[in-house]
Amino acid sequence: MTQQEVRLCGLLLQEHFGEVVEKVAVHLLRTGAQTLRGIAQETSTPLDLVKKSLCVLAQHGMCEFRRGRRGPAGAVEYLATSERILRILRYPRYIYTAKTLYGDTGELIVEEVLQRGHMTMSGSVKTVADRLTHNMEEGRSMDYSEVVTAFSKLVETHFIQRCPPVADVGAAPPAAGPGAQAAPAAPPSPADSHPERYTLPHVKLTGRGKRRHPSEESEGEQRGAKRAKMDTSESSGDTGIYWQVNFDRFHQHFRDQAIVSAVASKLDQTSSEIVRTMLRMSEVTTTPTAACTQPLSANEIFRALPPSYSITRPVLEQYLSLLVDDPMEFVGKSGESGGGMYVVNLHKALATLSRATLESVVQERFGSRSARIFRLLLRKRHLEQKQVEDFAMIPAKEAKDMLYTLLSENLVQLQEIPKTPDHAPSRTFYLYTVNPLPTARLLLQHCYKAVGNLMERRQYETKENKRLLEKSQRIEAILASLQASGAEPSQLTEVEEMITAPERQQLQALRHHVNKLDSSENQVDETIFLLESYINSTQTSR
Amino acid sequence: MAGRGRGRGRGQLSFNMEAVGIGKGENLPPSTLQPTPPFPPMEHKPVPLQTSEEAEYMLALKQELRGAMKSLPFYIRPAAPKKDVERYSDKYQSTEPTDNTIEWDPDWKRLPKELRIRVRKPLKEKVSAVPRSSKQTGVDKEEIIRKLETLEKKEEEVSSDEEGRERKKQDEEEQEGEEEYDEEEFEEETDYIMSYFDNGEEFGGDSDDNMDEAIY
Amino acid sequence: MAEVKVKQELTDPVEIENRIKDLCQQFPHGITDQVIQNDMPHVEAQQRAMAINRLLSVGQLDLLRNSTGLLYRLKDTQSASKMKGSDNQEKLVYQIIEDAGNKGIWSRDIRYKSNLPLTEINKILKNLESKKLIKAVKSVAASKKKVYMLYNLQPDRSVTGGAWYSDQDFESEFVEVLNQQCFKFLQGKAEVARDSKQSPMVQRNSSFATSHEVWKYICELGISKVELSMDDIETILNTLIYDGKVEMSVIAAKEGTAGCVDGQMKLYRGVNPIIQSTGLVKTPCGLCPVFDDCHEGGEISPSTCIYMTEWLDF
Repeated sequence: MTQQEVRLCGLLLQEHFGEVVEKVAVHLLRTGAQTLRGIAQETSTPLDLVKKSLCVLAQHGMCEFRRGRRGPAGAVEYLATSERILRILRYPRYIYTAKTLYGDTGELIVEEVLQRGHMTMSGSVKTVADRLTHNMEEGRSMDYSEVVTAFSKLVETHFIQRCPPVADVGAAPPAAGPGAQAAPAAPPSPADSHPERYTLPHVKLTGRGKRRHPSEESEGEQRGAKRAKMDTSESSGDTGIYWQVNFDRFHQHFRDQAIVSAVASKLDQTSSEIVRTMLRMSEVTTTPTAACTQPLSANEIFRALPPSYSITRPVLEQYLSLLVDDPMEFVGKSGESGGGMYVVNLHKALATLSRATLESVVQERFGSRSARIFRLLLRKRHLEQKQVEDFAMIPAKEAKDMLYTLLSENLVQLQEIPKTPDHAPSRTFYLYTVNPLPTARLLLQHCYKAVGNLMERRQYETKENKRLLEKSQRIEAILASLQASGAEPSQLTEVEEMITAPERQQLQALRHHVNKLDSSENQVDETIFLLESYINSTQTSR
Repeated sequence: MAGRGRGRGRGQLSFNMEAVGIGKGENLPPSTLQPTPPFPPMEHKPVPLQTSEEAEYMLALKQELRGAMKSLPFYIRPAAPKKDVERYSDKYQSTEPTDNTIEWDPDWKRLPKELRIRVRKPLKEKVSAVPRSSKQTGVDKEEIIRKLETLEKKEEEVSSDEEGRERKKQDEEEQEGEEEYDEEEFEEETDYIMSYFDNGEEFGGDSDDNMDEAIY
Repeated sequence: MAEVKVKQELTDPVEIENRIKDLCQQFPHGITDQVIQNDMPHVEAQQRAMAINRLLSVGQLDLLRNSTGLLYRLKDTQSASKMKGSDNQEKLVYQIIEDAGNKGIWSRDIRYKSNLPLTEINKILKNLESKKLIKAVKSVAASKKKVYMLYNLQPDRSVTGGAWYSDQDFESEFVEVLNQQCFKFLQGKAEVARDSKQSPMVQRNSSFATSHEVWKYICELGISKVELSMDDIETILNTLIYDGKVEMSVIAAKEGTAGCVDGQMKLYRGVNPIIQSTGLVKTPCGLCPVFDDCHEGGEISPSTCIYMTEWLDF
C-alpha cells in the first residue's frame, strides 16, 4: 500500500462518503487490521460515527472484518481494501459499459447497485422502474418485467453477482423469517467457491414503475406509496439475497475492448471484428485470469462470425494467418485440426498494450527521440551508451543527456558488469536496460498521484468560487420557481441579470475547468486500468 | 569510452555518474544543477483530451454520481460542532443526522454485532412538510426580492470586508437557511433514493430490537 | 594454369604495389592502366584496381588526366626536397605520420612511437602543418581528439564517420530528414495497398518495400549530397523500427534480385500504432518536470500549479 494509493483512496472516499468515512478508512489503510475501539481511539472519532463509517464501508464491500487474533472470543478486526476503494474512480465506466450493453435499463441497474454497494433484486428492479417511468412521457410507465429481463441478463453474463455469504463474525443470529435461508451458515470461503453466485432467486415481481408528482403528492400519499413499496419488497421473496457489481467481469470486458481496438488500430476493422468474435466465444470458456483463450477452430470462428461481416471462409483464413504473423502476436496458432486452431494471447496482449503505454508516456514527456532510445532498449534489452548512439543515430552528447534524464526518472536502468573482481569503473561494462514490469509499477503510482492532484485541483477551483457558485445556485432555484408559478418574462430577466456578465464568465470558466479535470480523471483511469491489468497478469501467470 | 575515470558520482544519485559519461566537473543537464524556477518551462504540452460522445457521457455520469452520493445516507457528515445554540433549527434539518442513528437499514445479519446502531426513524418528515409546501406553492415576489437583496448585500460585504468576523457569522446563519432551501431542491430529484431506504414503520419490530442493543 | 603458377608471387598485394611503383619510376611522366595490365597480364583486374586504389589512398600515387585518358604517376612526395632543412626529429615524426596512412595518428601515439617530449612534438607538428605537409583532422570517434595524416590524404570513413558526418559533426538533421522521407515512402506504399481493396494477403504483401526500393527512392529524391549506400538506408530504416513506425521481416529471395543479400531480403512496411496517446499524458501531471516535488501545501502543489492553470484556461 503506497502513500499515493492511500491518498487517492482518501480523496475518493471523501467525495463520495464524506470525511468521516475517509478518516476511518485511511486509518485502516495505514495501520492494517484494527478493532472498533482502536479505530475510535486513534482517530479520536465518536464511536457511533466509526460504527456508521464501518457500516458504509462494509455495505460497499470496501472493508472486511474477521474474528481477531485472540481466538473466537477476541474482538472483531476491520480491514480496508484499497483495491476496492480505488474502483470508485471507475464507476462512470462501469455504468457507461452497462448502457452500451443493456441500454438505459442496464445503465440504471448498475448505477443503482454501485451507489448502494449492494441491493436486492426486487429493490433494484423497483427503483430502476420508477426512475425510468419518471423519464417517460406522461401516462406511460415502465413494467417491472422489462427491468427484470435486463437484470437477469446482467446476471447471466456475470456482470452482476450475488454477494458471497458472510462468515459468522459476531453477526446477529439469523432471524427467523422469509429471508432466513439466504444467509446460510457457510464456512468462510472465497467468492469463487460460492456456487449460487449467478443463480436468480424466484421473485414475485409484478407491477409498473411509479411516477412521482411532487406538487400533487400530499404527505400522506407519499407515505402510503412508500409503505406499499416496502410491502411488495417484503413479499417479493428475495429478502437477504444481495447483488453486487462483478468488477472482474467488467475488467475482462474492458481488456477485450482494449485488445479489439488495438487490432483495429494496427490492422483493420475486419481483423478486429474477428478477434472480437473470438473473445466473445471465449467469454464463458476462459477464466478471467487465463493467459490465453481456449483454442478455437477456424470452423467454429467462421460459424460464429456475424453474417453482416460477409467474410468468406478463405478470406477468414487469410485474416487469421495475417493475425498470427503480426509481430503483436495477439493471436496464436495452437494446432491444425478443424482448419487450424487459434487462441488469443491475452497476457501477451496486455504486456504489449502496457509497453505501448510506457512508450506513449516517454514519447509525450521527453520527445520522440528519447522514445526511440526507450523502444530500442526495450527491444535490445542491454546496450552500452555507444551502441545506443549508433542504433538510434543520435549524436553522443544528446544521447547522453537523454539517457541521463531517463535514468534519473527511473524509466531506464543502468547495469554494471565488472570485467574484473575489483569492480574498477574502467574495467566495467555499463549497460542500459528497460525493465517493463517495474516501470509499469512506477507509472501506475504516477497515475494515482496524478488523479489525486487533479481531484485536489478540482476541489480547489470549486472552493475558490464557492460564493459565486452558491449565488448562482440560488438564482437558478428562484428562476425555476418563478417559471413554475408563471412569472412574467420581464421578471425572469430581472432575476437573471442578478448575475453580472463578468460573473457569468467566471462561472463558465469554472465549469470548463471542472469538466476538464473530471474528464482527465476518467482518462487517466484508462491508463491505470491497462497498467493494473498487465501487472496482475504477470502475477497470475507465474 | 572517454570521460570515464575513477571515483563515484555525486551522493544522491543511484548510479555512477561517470558511467553515464558525465565526467567530474562536467555540467549536468541544466535542470538539475542550475537554480531553477519552481515551475521550469514544460517542454511538451499535454495531448488534447478525448472529446468523443463516450467521454462526454462518462463525464456526465461522473458528476452525477458525485452529486447523488452526497444525498445518499452513506454520506456521513461529521458531528456538527457547537450545535447547542441552534437546537431548534436542528429539528428541521432533515439531512443533518445526529451521531447515534443510521439513515438506512443495513442487513445486520451481514455485519458484526458490535456495529449495530439505531436506525433513524423518519420522524422529521412531518415537520419538514411545512417549508416544502410553502416553496412548492410558489415563491412570492416579495420573498424573492428580499432574498436577492440579502444576496447583494452579501456580495458587497465580501468586497468591502474580507476578514470581518461579523460577516462570517452572518453568512453562516444565512447558509443554514439556504442549505435547507437547496436540499429541498435536491430532494426533488433524489427522493426515490430516500424513499427506498426510508423503511417507515414496517421494520419497526426489528429495529426496535436493534435499538435495545445499540443503546449503551 | 601453369603460367599463372610461374608468376605466383604477383598475387601478393604488396608485390603488385611494388611492381606498379617500379613501373612508375621507369616512366616518370606517368603510366596508363594499359601499361600496368601489359606488365602483369595474369593479375586480375580486381586485384590490380585494389593495389592502385591503395596506393592512391596512402598518397604514393597521383591520378592525372591527359588527352589519352587516365595516368598514374608516382607522387611527388619526395621528402628529400620538401623536408629540406628539417632535422632528424622532424623526419621521424613525418615518417610516423606517413605510416599511419589515411586513418591518421593521435599526437599521444606519436609521442610513444618517437619517444620525443610532447612539447617538442607539438612544435614539430605545427611546423609540418604550416608547410602543408600534414594536416590535423578531427575524428568522430571522440570529439576532442585530433589525428594527423599527410596533407594530401582523404581521411578514412572511420575518421569522418561516413555519410552522417560533415567535418566531424554528426548531421543529426540530415538523419531526421532521411528518417522522415523513408517513412513517407513506406506510409504511401501502405496506403496504396490499403486502398487497393485486394485480398487481405495481397494488401499486406504489397505494403512491403525492400531496402533496395527505399534506397532507390531516396537516391532519386536527390536530397543527399553524399552518396548513400544500401547499408546507410538500412541504418535509417532501423531508426524507424525503434520509432515504432516500421516493421521489418526477412524473407528468402532468389540470388540476384535487387536488394537480395546472401539469399535473404529485408522487407519493410509502415505500420499504425496500437494505441493512441495514453490518458496520463493528456494531463499536465503526466508531463510535469517537477512532479516528484509536488505535494499539497508545498510551494509546488496542485492548487498553485501554473501548468494546470495554463492548461485549464486553454
